[in-house]
Amino acid sequence: MSSQDHHGRGRTGPRIPRPRTLRLVAAGVGALALTAALATPLSPAPQQAAADDGKKVLTVAVAQSIDSLSPFLASRLVSTSILRLTYEFLNNYDAKDAHAVPGLATEWKPSADKLTWTYKIRSDATWSDGKKVTAEDAAWTFNKMMTDPNAATANGSFVGNFRKVTAPSPTELVIELDKPQATMTALDVPIVPKHVWEKVGDFSKFNNDKDFPVVGNGPYILTDYEPDSFVRLEANKEFWRGAPKFDELVFKYYKDGDAAVAALQKGEVSFVSNLTPAQADSLEGQENIEVNDAPGRRFLALAVNPGARAKDGERFGDGHESLLDQRVRQALFLAVDRETLIDKVYQGHAVEGEGYIPPRFSTYYWKPSADQKLAHDPAEAARLLDAAGYKKNGDGKRVGKDGKPITYRVLCHATEPNDKAIGQYLKEWWGDLGIGMDLQCLDNVSDPWLAGTYDLAFDGWSVNPDPDFVLSIHTCAALPATREDTGATDNFICDEKYDDLYDRQLAEYDPAKRAGLVKQAVSRLYDTGYMNVVAYPNAMEAYRTDQIASITTMPEDAGNIFGQDGYWSWWSAVPADSGGSSDGGGSAGVITGVAVGVVLLAGVGGFLAMRRRATAEDRE
Amino acid sequence: MTTEASPPTAQAGPRALAWQRRRRAAARFWRQYHTHRAGLVGLAALALFALVALTAPLTVGSDVAGVTDAPGRPMESPSAEFPLGTDRFGRNLLGLLVWGSRVSLLVGLLAAVLSVVIGALVGITAGHYRGTYATVIMRVTDWFLVMPALVLAIALATVLPRSLGTVILAIGVTSWPTTARLVRAQTLAVESRPYIERAKALGAGHVHIMTRHVLPNVMPLVLAQTTLMVSASILTEATLAFLGLGDPTVVSWGGMLQDAREAGAVSSGDWWYLVPPGIAIAGVALTFTLCGRAVEAVLNPRLGVAR
Amino acid sequence: MTADAASAPADGTAGPAPAPAAAPTVRGPRARTWAGYLRYGAGKVGGAAVSLFAVLVTSFFLFRLIPGDPVKTMTGGRPVSAEQLAALRREFGLDLPLWQQFTDYCGKALTGDLGTSYQFRAPVTEKIADALPNTLLLTGTAFVLYTALGIVIGTRTAWRRGRLGDRLNTGLALTLYSLPSFWLGLLLIIVFSVGMGPVPGLFPTGGMESGGEEGFAHVLDVAHHLVLPVLTLVAVEYGQTLLVTRSALLDETGSDYLTTARAKGLRDDLVRRRHAVPNALLPTVTLIFVNLGRTVAGVILVETVFSWPGLGGLFYQALSVPDLPLVQGLFLFFASAVIIMNTVADLVYPLLDPRVGR
Repeated sequence: MSSQDHHGRGRTGPRIPRPRTLRLVAAGVGALALTAALATPLSPAPQQAAADDGKKVLTVAVAQSIDSLSPFLASRLVSTSILRLTYEFLNNYDAKDAHAVPGLATEWKPSADKLTWTYKIRSDATWSDGKKVTAEDAAWTFNKMMTDPNAATANGSFVGNFRKVTAPSPTELVIELDKPQATMTALDVPIVPKHVWEKVGDFSKFNNDKDFPVVGNGPYILTDYEPDSFVRLEANKEFWRGAPKFDELVFKYYKDGDAAVAALQKGEVSFVSNLTPAQADSLEGQENIEVNDAPGRRFLALAVNPGARAKDGERFGDGHESLLDQRVRQALFLAVDRETLIDKVYQGHAVEGEGYIPPRFSTYYWKPSADQKLAHDPAEAARLLDAAGYKKNGDGKRVGKDGKPITYRVLCHATEPNDKAIGQYLKEWWGDLGIGMDLQCLDNVSDPWLAGTYDLAFDGWSVNPDPDFVLSIHTCAALPATREDTGATDNFICDEKYDDLYDRQLAEYDPAKRAGLVKQAVSRLYDTGYMNVVAYPNAMEAYRTDQIASITTMPEDAGNIFGQDGYWSWWSAVPADSGGSSDGGGSAGVITGVAVGVVLLAGVGGFLAMRRRATAEDRE
Repeated sequence: MTTEASPPTAQAGPRALAWQRRRRAAARFWRQYHTHRAGLVGLAALALFALVALTAPLTVGSDVAGVTDAPGRPMESPSAEFPLGTDRFGRNLLGLLVWGSRVSLLVGLLAAVLSVVIGALVGITAGHYRGTYATVIMRVTDWFLVMPALVLAIALATVLPRSLGTVILAIGVTSWPTTARLVRAQTLAVESRPYIERAKALGAGHVHIMTRHVLPNVMPLVLAQTTLMVSASILTEATLAFLGLGDPTVVSWGGMLQDAREAGAVSSGDWWYLVPPGIAIAGVALTFTLCGRAVEAVLNPRLGVAR
Repeated sequence: MTADAASAPADGTAGPAPAPAAAPTVRGPRARTWAGYLRYGAGKVGGAAVSLFAVLVTSFFLFRLIPGDPVKTMTGGRPVSAEQLAALRREFGLDLPLWQQFTDYCGKALTGDLGTSYQFRAPVTEKIADALPNTLLLTGTAFVLYTALGIVIGTRTAWRRGRLGDRLNTGLALTLYSLPSFWLGLLLIIVFSVGMGPVPGLFPTGGMESGGEEGFAHVLDVAHHLVLPVLTLVAVEYGQTLLVTRSALLDETGSDYLTTARAKGLRDDLVRRRHAVPNALLPTVTLIFVNLGRTVAGVILVETVFSWPGLGGLFYQALSVPDLPLVQGLFLFFASAVIIMNTVADLVYPLLDPRVGR
C-alpha cells in the first residue's frame, strides 16, 4: 500500500519502440485458433484415420498408472493385464469354465508321490526376435525368482513351495515340490526369454520400458510406452494360437472416468471399463454402443479386526475388544440391509453377498442355508448385542466393557466411491443400533491395516479361477512371523478348523473332492463373522460395436472383458468393417465448418483490433 | 482510517470519545461504500446466502442429509417433487444444496478468519517489534509466501486425518502470508505517527500500543482482507473436497461435485447434479470478492477499482 | 494496486496471489548504480538460496509426518520377511538416524539426485524430467495467452474506465475468476468434447496425444488436445492480470506527466501506449513472473480433469501412495520454481524501473 510513490512521475517510460503488444496478442490468439482449427478435422475418429493406411486399431481406455513393465515387479491390474498379452504362461484358463488349458505347456502331470510335476513345452512357439521358446526359458524364469529376492517381488508366492526346477530337454520342464500343491496348473507367472533377461543386472530397478519392441511371445508385442499417456502393442503375427484380428492394441490414459466415457461416445476409444451405474444406464441403448454388465469376479466385504497378531504370539494393534465376541460381529452384519445396498448403491448392478467365493465360480460357490444365513434383522442384532452384554446407556449409546460408548473405526479406500457410499449407510444403520462409527477414508490404507489399528475395514479381492490364493490369506500360516514382518494375511484371521480344511483342499488332487473341501472352508469362514461379504459387484464395461464386431467374455456366456484370467478378449476381438465411416464423414463436415468459423472469428477480431487503431489515429 | 485526524470535540471520557470517533468513521465508511454499486449487489447477495444458510435447519432440516430414508430413487432428473433432481443416494439435491451451504460457508469463514488472525498477528508484531524478531519472522513469511499454497494445502490435508478441522487448518495455515505483509506495512505506517510517540512517552507498553492503537487502525484492512480471503477459502475447500481430501460423510458443495463426478454424472449428462453446486461456489466466491473490493476501494480511494 | 491484486482468488486454488506482497520487497533498495544493483542482486540471490534451503528442509520433514512405515507401504502389503524389509530400509537409507538421512538427502539433492521413486522404481529426477515438458507446454501456452489477454484488456478497460465495456469486462473477469477451475473444465468437456445440442464434440476429452502420429501431424494432434485445458486455465487466470494492469494504469491516469504529454498535443492513443502503459506495466511484471512459477504448481486440477500427463497429476498420484521420494522431489521442484521466478522478478524489476539511473 505504500507503493504509490513508486511509479515514475515526470519521466516517461523506457523507450519501447511502438508497442506492438496488441498485434502480437492478436497474432497469438489467432495462431492458437488456427492450430486448433487445423487440428480439428484430424480427430473425429482416429480409428477411421488409421484405417486409411490399412491398420485396425483397438483402443482401450485405462486410468491406473503402470507401476512397472517388468513381469517380476508389476502388481497393478493394468500392468499385469498388459504383460499377460506379451508373455505366455505355462497354462491358460478356458474361456468357458476356467479349467486349465495349454499355454506354453501342452501337457502336464504329477508324479505318484504328488511331489514332481512334469510339463511338456510346445515347440511351435517363438520369441518375437525369432528365437525359439524352450523349457530352458521357463526353468530360468522360475530359478531366478527362487534365487533372487528382487525377482520375487511380484510373483514370489508361486515358487514358495518349489524345491527345484530343471529343463532336461528343450521341451520338458520338471518342477519338484516340498509338499503337494493342487495349484500347479494355475501358475500365473509370465515366462520371459532367458537370452534377453539374463543380461539384466538389478531386477529391483529394471522396468523393461526402455528398449522397444520388447521381446515377447504372447498375442501382442509391446512396441511403445509413454507414461500416463499410452501403451501401444502390435499384433504378434507369429503367435502359435493364431494372430489377433486387430493390428494394434492401444491402452490410452483417461484419469477421469467421465472423460473415458465421453471418449467412448465420440469413438476416440473402443472400450471402457469400470463404469458407474449411472454411466452404464446412460450408455445402455445408445447407438453403436454395447454395455457389458456381467457378474464380476470381485467381492466387497466388511473385514473385522480379530486382534492383530504375529505367529510368535505377540499381539499388536488396537482393535475393539467387543469384536472378539462372535455375537457382536454377527449383530453388526445382521443390521446391514444388503438388498438396499444393491438397490441404491449399485442400482442393481451387483449380486447380494453371501459366501466368500462369487457365484460366477460355480465349481467352488457356496451359499449359506436358510438357518445359517445372517439375513437383515435389526431386532435380532439388538438382541444379540444385549445378550453379549453391550447394553444401551441413558443416551441410547451402547457402552463397551470399559464403560465408554462404542465407536468403531471403519477403514475405507478414498479412491472407492462405493466404500464411501456404503459407509454412510452403515453409519446410519449402526447408529440406530446405538453404535457409533467413524469412517476413515484413506488413499493408502495399508499402514493402519498392517498395524492392526482399525476395527472394521472395507475389503475386496478379485478371485481367481483357482481360489487357493484368496483362501490362503486367512490361514494362521499367513500371519506375519513377528510383528516386524509383513505376512500374507488379509486381516489376521487364525482359525484352527478353517486351517485344517484349507490344508486338506491344497493337498487334494481330485477336483470334485477339492471343491467340497473348499466349500466347507468357506462355510466355516462365514460362521466366524470375520469376513462378511456385502456384495459381488458386476463388471460394468462398454464397447463400440462399430469398431469391435465381436469379443470373447470370460466366462463366455456372461463374463467380463477387462482383467480376464486369460488373454481371450483382446486376442479374440474382431474389428467391425468401417461401420462408423459415414458418421465420421458427416461430423468431419461439421467440424470443417466450425473450423472455418473459428478462423473467420479470429480474422474479424484481428480486423477490429486494427480498425480501433485506425480510428484512434483518425481522431488526431 | 486516520483516527487521530478527528480531534476531540466533546468533553467526554476517552473511551466514549473513541467510540464516538469509531461510530463516525463507520458512518463515513458506509456513506462511501454506498456509492459502490457492485459492492451493494455483493452485500445483498451475501445477506441472501447467509439467510439461506442460517435458516437451513428450518427450511430443509438435517434429515435431508440422511441416506437410509432418502425420499427418491438414485439420480432422478428434476421434477416437481425434486426441483434439482436427486443424488446418487436418492436425496433431494435442492435440499442438499441448501444444507451444503452451511459447511461451505462455515469452512470458508473459519479458514479465512484463521488465516487473517495468523496474518494480522504476524504482521502487527513484525511491524511493532523491529530488529531480529521482525527480520526472522518476515523471512518466514516470505518463505511461506513462495510455497505453492495449494500444493502445501494438499500435502497437509493428506498428512492429517480427514475432517473439517483439517481442511480449515490446511487452508488457514497456507494462506496467511499476504495478510501478514499488508498488515505489517500498515502497522509501520501507523507506528510512525506522532501520537504513538506520545503514547510511548506516556509509558504505554507494547501490548497497549498494539491492541489499543495499532489494531483499531489495521482493523479495516483486516476486514477487507478477511472478505477477500473467504472467497479464496471457499474455492480451496471445494478443491480439496473435489480431490477427495474432505470428510466424505459431511455434505458440502465441493463434496457434492466430487460425488457427482464419482457417480459419473458428467458423462451421463446429469447436469442438475453438477451445475448447481458449481454455480453456488462461484456465486459465493464472487459475492465475497465484490464486497471485499468495495471495502478496499473505500479504504484506498486511489485504487478506484470497483467504479 | 497492492490490495487489489490480493483480491484475486487465484485459480480457485491457491488463495491470493503472492505477487502484491512480493512487489514491495524490491522497492527498498535504491539501486542507482551498477554496483548498487549488483549488491542488491546478490542480496536477492542470497535470500533465494536461504528460501531454497528452507524448502529442502520442509520437503524432507513435512512428509515424514505421514504416519506409517515407508517400506511397508513400498511393499504394498505383500508378504515380506523382516530381513527383506530391513534390506529395503538399508537400500533406501531408511535405517539411518533421521539427521543422517537428512544430510544424505541434502547432499544428494545438491548433486541433482532426488532419490528413487518407491512405486515406479525409477529415479525421481527421471520421472520429473518425463512429465516436465508436458506441464511446461500446457502452462506455457496458457501463461502467454492469459498474460497477453489480461494486459491488453486491462489497459483498454482502464483507459475507458466506467464505461459499459469496462464494467462488462471487469465483471466477466471477476466472475470467471470465481469459478472453480476443475468445474469449468468438466463443463467444457461436456459441451465441447462430448458435444451438447447443436455443438458437436470438437475436441478430445483428455490426454495429450492420440499416439501414432509423426511429424507435423503429431504437432497438430497435441495442439488439438491442448485447446480445452488451455482455455480453462486462461479463463480462470486472465482476470488477475487484467485487474492488476487496470488498477496500475488507473494509478497512472491522474499523473502530471500524462497531463503534460496531452498538453503537448500528443494523441490520446499515443499517450496511452507510449507513456501510461509502460509505467503501469511495471507492477505487472512482478505478477507475471510470480504467476509463471505459480501456474506450474496450480495446474494440478486441470491436469487431473483433462488427464494431462504432467507434474500435477504425478504429484497427486505420488501423495496417495505415499511415494515419499517422489512427493519430496516434486514439492521441492514446485517451490523452487516459484522462488526462482520471484527472484528473477526481483532482479528484472530495477532494470525496468525508469527511476533507476544508469
